[in-house]
Amino acid sequence: MNHDHAPGRSCPKCWAELKTPLFCESCHELLAPTDRPSPFDALGLSTAYPVNRMELRKRLLQLSRRLHPDFHGSASQETRARAERNTAELNAAFELLDDDCRRADWLVRSLGGPGQDEERQMPAAFLSEVLEWSETIEEARNAAPGSPERAALGPLETSLREQRARTMESISDSLTPLPHTNAPELVEIRRSLNAVRYLDRALGEIAELRLSEASTSR
Amino acid sequence: MPFLELDVLNNENKAILGIDLGTTNSLVAVWREGRPVVLKPERWNDGRIPSVLHFPAEGGVIVGRNARALAADAPERTLFSVKRLMGRGVADLSQDLAGIPFPASESEHGLVQLEIQGKRYTPQELSARILHHAWEVAGAVLGELAPRRVVITVPAYFDDGQRQATRDAARLAGLEVMRIVNEPTAASLAYGLDRREAGTIAVYDFGGGTLDVSILTIEEGVFRVLSTAGDTHLGGDDIDRGLVALAVEELRGEIDHEVLRDPAFLQGVRLSAERCKIELTTKPESDLHVVAPHWNVSWRRTISREELEKRIAPLLERTLDSCRRALADAGLERGQLDEVVLVGGSTRIPAVRRLVEEFFGRVPNTSLDPDEVVALGAAVQGHVLAGGTREMLLLDVTPLSLGVETMGGAVSKIILRNSPVPTQVTEGYTTYAANQTGIDFNIVQGERELAKDCRSLGRFELKGIPPMPAGLARIAVRFSLDADGILTVTAKEESTGKDASIEVQPMHGLTDDQVESMLRESFQHAREDFDLSRLANLRVEIGTMERAIEANLEDAGLDVETIEEIRDALAEARSAARTGDVPRVQKARDELERASLPLAAALMDAVAKRALTGRTLDEV
Repeated sequence: MNHDHAPGRSCPKCWAELKTPLFCESCHELLAPTDRPSPFDALGLSTAYPVNRMELRKRLLQLSRRLHPDFHGSASQETRARAERNTAELNAAFELLDDDCRRADWLVRSLGGPGQDEERQMPAAFLSEVLEWSETIEEARNAAPGSPERAALGPLETSLREQRARTMESISDSLTPLPHTNAPELVEIRRSLNAVRYLDRALGEIAELRLSEASTSR
Repeated sequence: MPFLELDVLNNENKAILGIDLGTTNSLVAVWREGRPVVLKPERWNDGRIPSVLHFPAEGGVIVGRNARALAADAPERTLFSVKRLMGRGVADLSQDLAGIPFPASESEHGLVQLEIQGKRYTPQELSARILHHAWEVAGAVLGELAPRRVVITVPAYFDDGQRQATRDAARLAGLEVMRIVNEPTAASLAYGLDRREAGTIAVYDFGGGTLDVSILTIEEGVFRVLSTAGDTHLGGDDIDRGLVALAVEELRGEIDHEVLRDPAFLQGVRLSAERCKIELTTKPESDLHVVAPHWNVSWRRTISREELEKRIAPLLERTLDSCRRALADAGLERGQLDEVVLVGGSTRIPAVRRLVEEFFGRVPNTSLDPDEVVALGAAVQGHVLAGGTREMLLLDVTPLSLGVETMGGAVSKIILRNSPVPTQVTEGYTTYAANQTGIDFNIVQGERELAKDCRSLGRFELKGIPPMPAGLARIAVRFSLDADGILTVTAKEESTGKDASIEVQPMHGLTDDQVESMLRESFQHAREDFDLSRLANLRVEIGTMERAIEANLEDAGLDVETIEEIRDALAEARSAARTGDVPRVQKARDELERASLPLAAALMDAVAKRALTGRTLDEV
């Protein structure tokens, strides 16, 4: 076997250099990677926190045109199964990279940082803030539409959104350029990501409340 | 690479039919000469095939237009809206079953069955009849055996069980399902065919039985669904039901209570309600007319459009919940949409159009026939799957979250709603007792937190785990949703590398074995069944012609010989119809049709001076 290329970086069929382990753009072979590719590899993007959304979408559309089962409808059972699997892989990679939080989470874990359940410590001040929001949301839930309790959700939502934007910005700064493997600041980034989870949960509850209010108020 | 695969040598028809299997009507379309076309027999005004089954006393089944024609006279032998029963259990369907004139029961596998003339039918078998009929209509139009490879559309909000039921119905009809496509997505394909610029569109699909709202982007020929929301039990049927309720309320003092509960009576009322509703889309008022000679009932009540609108307002408001949900899930505001398109027969209702326009703040696009657009889109997708083009591609999502019931009855979500399909997620499980060789999963679909509030897809039993101490086994379970949105589950024990076997007992579905045995059984009875149904259809057609002839023959101004010839043909058709001799009845029917062509032409002439030759009598 010729090993001029690093394993996994060249097409096993035509030896052309691969942009993605899912598909050879040179000989159009649907590949069957043994390990799950990283989301960045799957889409043929370099591993970094900032992503160009337009480019990301362009890559998704480009690769979908090659991998999607619709274009392999009359192929062999094996090829069709590969098309399903690789498209599933592509979809998962796109969804992950398209989401700032999930992308940051993946990078932190791949750099050896703590997982979301491994670093549970949050500053006491933040936790008491969380309790306050929850209370506001709970009161609003139990109050009638149009009540002051419901009206209080507006300012809360604005402040939560601002806080989320600030936190994501600091995460972005810490991940650009990428820290070293096992760098101590990964713990701090994880805490910020966990804070975003709290914020998202609260924002999600507010959104649900709004949807049910819209449907019952008529 | 399988690019264009034209099987020139075998001259095999590689085309793929698109079938819109609707609650009220079904349509077939195919890609021809560079565009999708609805296949409709020449003598029909449109391609709608009523999704209606009629079971005549003499046996056999009549499907489609003929069945619809018989419904008013014999509602107790006619079945509508089978689609609402697909993939459901009796407990889910009390409201639907109340208007069905056949006794329902539940099979040991939790499947609804209707008992019709001493035989039990599953919704899959009944839908198969409709699909088969649609396929026959296609063949009649194409003038050759229609392709058996099909794309079938389903409401986007259909769950796994309903999708599987649809796929099984197609198998029972002898068709090969190349893809199940979501109706709003298919509609967007038809609408987006000529669209060059990128954009974000909302599809509001309000049909006979279901509501779907999908938001998608179109970019470089790729139709990517961002979100979908809906209600599989909200459609034109429910609007009819509102009018039925009105009639029943007002009739309460006047007629026997027993009558008001009789499913056949209710079905008759529903038909009148449907007619009234349709008339109100173009007229300010219409009569709701209930006639049931059998019960000595003849009742008439004028309904204004305003009254109908008031009555259905809460129902229409409910459709907006799905609009809001779809927008929220797509992360978009109403103003960010470039277009809103209307799909489905219920969007003909002026109040629906107004509501959608007001909600989205823009005039919806209604340039394509709302009844045809889904079938057209299915034909476009068929063209793509047949290898005809790489210009277009659909990227769809799963409408419902998928999860596994945990110990406390909660749901651990594995695939979130609006995830693009195909998708595959692998989860790790372990044993909690020593030498445990199996694990039981209850897989559910839905957004609620407790498993009992979601829809169970069935129990999956993982077997063949090698005996080892508790917690040591590492079982990787892979949940895959394919491009049809249908789930498969596979498992592997990782410490030994052994494939664990998974046994699936679908909640309200057929197992593969059941489909196989149904197929065998239907082959055994195919001939007899076919003859009975053929005969029943011919009798209906002769009856329709007979009525038209009796009503018009004397006054049409035909010469004596022609009248004589028609009379002779009619006499032969009548006596042939009383026999069970299929070839003879067929011949007599064809002869009657031929003989009465002058009458049809004369009537056409009389109605308008336009010569519409070639039309047959039953169209006049």
